[in-house]
Amino acid sequence: MLILGIETSCDETSAALVADGKTILSSTIATQLDLLKKYGGVVPEVAARRHAELIGYVIKEALDTAGKTLDDVEAVAVTSRQGLIGCLMVGVAAAKSISYARQVPLIGLHHIEGHIFANILSNPDLPVPHICLTVSGGHNMLVHVQNKCRYELLGTTLDDAAGEAFDKIAKFLGLGFPGGPAIDKLSQQGNRKAFNFPRPMIKNKALDFSFSGLKTAVINMFKAQIAGGEPLPLADIAASFQEAIVDTLVAKTLRAVEEKDLKIVSVTGGVSANSRLRQVFTEVCKKRGIKVFFPKLSLCTDNAAMIAAAGYARMMLGERSDLRLNVFPNAPLGG
Amino acid sequence: MIVLGIDTSGYINAVGICDGERALADASFPARADSLEQIVDNIDSTLKTAGLTLKDMEGIGVGLGPGSWTGIKVGVTVGKMLAFSANKPVAGIPTLAALAYSARDKSPLVYAIISAGIRDTVYAARYRFNGNEVIQEGDYFTGGIKDLAPLIKEPVLLVGTGIDSYRQAIVGENGSLKIKIRALEAIPSGAAIACLAARRLEQRKSDNALSLTPLYLKESTAKAFVNKYATKGKK
Ligand SMILES: [Zn+2]
Repeated sequence: MLILGIETSCDETSAALVADGKTILSSTIATQLDLLKKYGGVVPEVAARRHAELIGYVIKEALDTAGKTLDDVEAVAVTSRQGLIGCLMVGVAAAKSISYARQVPLIGLHHIEGHIFANILSNPDLPVPHICLTVSGGHNMLVHVQNKCRYELLGTTLDDAAGEAFDKIAKFLGLGFPGGPAIDKLSQQGNRKAFNFPRPMIKNKALDFSFSGLKTAVINMFKAQIAGGEPLPLADIAASFQEAIVDTLVAKTLRAVEEKDLKIVSVTGGVSANSRLRQVFTEVCKKRGIKVFFPKLSLCTDNAAMIAAAGYARMMLGERSDLRLNVFPNAPLGG
Repeated sequence: MIVLGIDTSGYINAVGICDGERALADASFPARADSLEQIVDNIDSTLKTAGLTLKDMEGIGVGLGPGSWTGIKVGVTVGKMLAFSANKPVAGIPTLAALAYSARDKSPLVYAIISAGIRDTVYAARYRFNGNEVIQEGDYFTGGIKDLAPLIKEPVLLVGTGIDSYRQAIVGENGSLKIKIRALEAIPSGAAIACLAARRLEQRKSDNALSLTPLYLKESTAKAFVNKYATKGKK
């Protein structure tokens, strides 16, 4: 079954063609990085306007790259839940128009379910059940993936997502946007132990996250350093900050693994591209006999291929959306 | 040429069908926050009522706005992706021109006016008719209704929704000129969009479906938006 996936929930306009939920024929992503750099973050109306401008081109490009036409498309899968409302609307409007004009089934999906499937798409041997840590600028969740399309939410962020903390600290340190890759790169020249930043809630039994305290600690230390007239060891600050985030994410994930008595971990979302996060997860999991999986780098950030893969799984369960499909910016993962 | 016309720029879903000469269907559905939820269903039911299908359409017309920013993004995306998917030519029609079209046999000169969402701020344009042709004169206007008043110096018909309050505001400003200003209550109709699109498409003046974008009139400038919305970091 050839599925056209569409994803416009935040700042990436993306379309993809995926066969049988596992073979990516094309994955086109138009990133709004130029706008992000200009505004220092996502401005919802600006992002939505860009989606409306690009959506047709991105879909055409996905078809052309795959060497397919709409005649070959057997279903349309689209992100309809969780994201910026005006952005989600553009994708859903496009998806239902194609579904109606071509008389093919439509399915609306939760964005986080897409991220869970990004890793299943990258690693066809990733078994269920497993624990999935999905972490980006917009979300930060621990999910017990009980079965394909059956989830139990174990924990989420109480304030900032880890990726959001990366962005804010990078902006503060003058490293530009997006912050994750910039801090990852600079950290490689820094001392991870130079500063002992707090690991928020790391000892706490709950599986929720909180990163705003860490952010404040980094900013306060930075200001104290300036006030003291000392030279600013940017690379050390970046490395120590990154280490605090990584330690927290790993510790909470391991706690979830213990609680559910599982030996399989999936790490996904934009932050799963972070090299230190991958390194620590790999080392720690190896020691404990836990298998850990990461998506291909191209499937870490928001993309439509993961939406098409999730759509296929749901369609195999017999699920469909009708043409009244609407968007829900704050919908829980559910299912 | 049979053309489907849609407009979701205001708080209605307008769907119409025109055969190039006359309207075969002209439906309007109330839709405040649920334009997206309803629009394709409303297109389907309008086609069915007329005994037609999307396949029977020879082109698609879509109201570009101005109007609700969300509404026009939804409408234009639906219009262009229907055209792309069904392989039909598409024509984007300014919603103000569709409003003016509904007054074409009532006055040689009209001002079409649409609320910009904020109190007393409007989008407007001046149109003159040549037969059934709607010709825009000058640029679009965006601003306070009181600032529009000095531009109106000759007898004119104002067209739009809630139009009498705009007429009163203009007469209040221009009272000393003693010119005749009438008002015609109207909504942008799907049939008007369809008929104007049919005219354009018959002249082979279609738009590129992929590049069609809404007519916002108000720019999403950095300052305006950064002031209005909290920025949110990502990734
Ligand atoms: Zn995401």
